[in-house]
Amino acid sequence: MRQMRERRNTMLQRKKRVCRFCEGGDVFIDFRDEKRLVRFLTELGKIVPRRTSGNCNQHQRQLAKALKRARHLALIPFVSDIPR
Amino acid sequence: MENLYCTIFIVDISQNPDESETVSSRIQQLVEDHGGIIKKINRWGKKRLAYSVQKKSHGFYVEIEFSASSRLNIPKILEAEYRINDRVLRHLTYIVDKKELVQREKNAGKFKKDQEAEKPESSEESKEPKLAVTPPSPEEKEVPESPVEEVEKTEDTEVLPEPEEVTEEETKKSEKKETVSDNESEPVMESEPAEEQESVQPKESENESGSDEEDSEKRES
Repeated sequence: MRQMRERRNTMLQRKKRVCRFCEGGDVFIDFRDEKRLVRFLTELGKIVPRRTSGNCNQHQRQLAKALKRARHLALIPFVSDIPR
Repeated sequence: MENLYCTIFIVDISQNPDESETVSSRIQQLVEDHGGIIKKINRWGKKRLAYSVQKKSHGFYVEIEFSASSRLNIPKILEAEYRINDRVLRHLTYIVDKKELVQREKNAGKFKKDQEAEKPESSEESKEPKLAVTPPSPEEKEVPESPVEEVEKTEDTEVLPEPEEVTEEETKKSEKKETVSDNESEPVMESEPAEEQESVQPKESENESGSDEEDSEKRES
C-alpha cells in the first residue's frame, strides 16, 4: 500500500499543468480574437491536443468550437502550408 | 422563447466598395420585418482572409446582433438570403450563449479597470512623450540621407574585390581548423552532456518537453 501511495504521489506531482483559461478565469472563449486562438494550432493549422496544451476538458471543447467557427469565417486557416 | 442571435457575414467589396452598406441594410430590413429587434451593429471593416474564398483575398466583415423569439425562425430566413446573395462570401448565425454574455461583462469590467488605472498615468505621460516625440523627428528625417552615403561606401569597396575574397578564404580555413580542433578534444565534449542531463531531470516533472529532449539525447547517443 505504501508503494501505491508513493506512486500516486509521484504521478500527482508530475501533472501540475493548469488550464490557461482556468487561470485567467475565462468562462467563454471568443472566436473573434484570432491572435489568442493561433496559440492552440500546430504549424500546419491542426488543433493542439489536450495532453500537450494542458487545457481542461470544458475549455478544450469550447476552444475547438471557437477554432472551427473562426476557420469558417476565414480568420484562421484550415491548412497552412508554410510553417511560421 | 426569446433568444439573442448574432450573425456575421463577409461581403465581397472588390468590385463595389458600397456593397457592404447595401447588404447590411438588407439584412437589417429582413430582421426587422420578421419581428426581430436589432441590438448592435459592429463593422469590423476590410480584413485579409486567412484563405481565399471564391478567389478573393479580402472581405468586409459585418456583425449584427438581434433578439427574436425562436418561433419566428429568423436564422432560416437569413440563411436563404445569404445563399441567394452573390456578394456574401461567408456567413455565420448562432444563438449567443449565457456564458458569452458573462464573459463580455467580465471583459468590460476589466477594460474599465484598466482604463481607470491608465487614465491618471496616461495624463501624466501624455505631456512628457509629446516633448520627447518632437526632438527625434528631425533625427528621423536625417536617417534617410545616411543610407545613401553607406551605399556609396559599399560601391567603393566593390571596386577592389580581390583582397576581400582572399581574406574570406583565409577565414574559412581558420574556421575549419577550429572545428577540427573541437572534434579532437573529445573528453571535453563528453563532460558537457552529462551536465545537461542533470539540468534536464528537474524540468521533466513540470513539462513533457523536458522528457522529449531527453529522448532526443538518447537517440543521439
